[in-house]
Amino acid sequence: MKFGKEEIQKIVLGGLLVIGVVYSYFDLLLAPLKKQQAAARKTTEDLGPQILNARGQLKRTADLERNFAERTVPLRQVDGMIPEGSPVAWFPTKIGDFFKRQGIEKTTTKLNTESPEKELTGFRRISWGIDLAKVGYGQFGSAVSRLENEDPLLEIRSLQIDASRDDAETQRVALTVVNLVKQ
Amino acid sequence: MAIRINLYHEVQKARQLKRRDPLKLSMYSLSAIGACFAIYYGVELGRMHAIGSELARAQEEFNQIDPKAKAAKLREDEMSEEIRKSELVTRRMEERFYWAPMLEQIAQTVPREVQVTRLVGEVSGDSVHKCSIVLDGLSAGSDPRKVAEELRTALAEKLGPSYKGVTSTFKSLEDGTELVMLDGKQIATASFAINLQFTTGEEAIAPTVRKKR
Repeated sequence: MKFGKEEIQKIVLGGLLVIGVVYSYFDLLLAPLKKQQAAARKTTEDLGPQILNARGQLKRTADLERNFAERTVPLRQVDGMIPEGSPVAWFPTKIGDFFKRQGIEKTTTKLNTESPEKELTGFRRISWGIDLAKVGYGQFGSAVSRLENEDPLLEIRSLQIDASRDDAETQRVALTVVNLVKQ
Repeated sequence: MAIRINLYHEVQKARQLKRRDPLKLSMYSLSAIGACFAIYYGVELGRMHAIGSELARAQEEFNQIDPKAKAAKLREDEMSEEIRKSELVTRRMEERFYWAPMLEQIAQTVPREVQVTRLVGEVSGDSVHKCSIVLDGLSAGSDPRKVAEELRTALAEKLGPSYKGVTSTFKSLEDGTELVMLDGKQIATASFAINLQFTTGEEAIAPTVRKKR
């Protein structure tokens, strides 16, 4: 079978048309669709772990919420232990009353320094100087023991006991204590 | 044999040629390929629709759960902070340095031949407490220096089991000029200053644990 010039031209033209159509089909139709599919699939896959994380977060929070009240009992107790108002108003009175109950009459309490608690937001630490003019060693030891047990927010940082020259049975005591108060 | 002449051979040949026309055949083939392409594209469109639906469902679920998760994270942070503070407060209270037992131990160690005239104690640090105590006093006896030395060693022995790294050293020890009455006798004295140092708390215990490992 022989093709004429005109037919050859038609075949070449047809061939070119086919190539163009095939190229357009793959490049302009199928490729964007595939790209869209891949993007949608990737987004779905990415959302999977995010949804799982979110569910995990909700579960973690719910678990924590269940134990929260129990685990913060000490903090609430501490909150309840600290009286309202300026510590200068209540702390010296509290200490004076305490030592009076222990039989130590003369007590002087002065504020030394105060600093914020860096690790415990909402609280600050105040340093006080307490002077006990006349106290027996045993009586003082017993009072210190009670003080340390009754007030867990208070810590004695230093003490100085000086024997009295006039009375061998009594000493003069100077204490430096720090206590935790609300900000 | 009779000769048969096919007068239609040209017509038949033309028909045959028309039936095997390459242009027509290629058109059929191209149409078939085109149909395949169209079907395949349709299938892919269907797949795309399924993926799109899946994405929309996931996106909707995420949109619903994400704000809740963010709020939950904030609440978790708040609660964690409160719990941390609560634990810290508890630890601070439990790890305080207690002076009363220390004063009791000193009182038990000081013999009747010794009078402590001054006791100065200081504690530093929060979780690890470094404690320093200076005892000034007078010792009396036939050998008052020996009495003071016995007090120094007795203090170290007494405090050793309760605290870590206990050291007891003399800051000063001098013969006294005055005599004192004890049991009706005039006896010599010596003035001394004993420096006691030790640590308590987390780090004081940690090295022992590490050694065991």
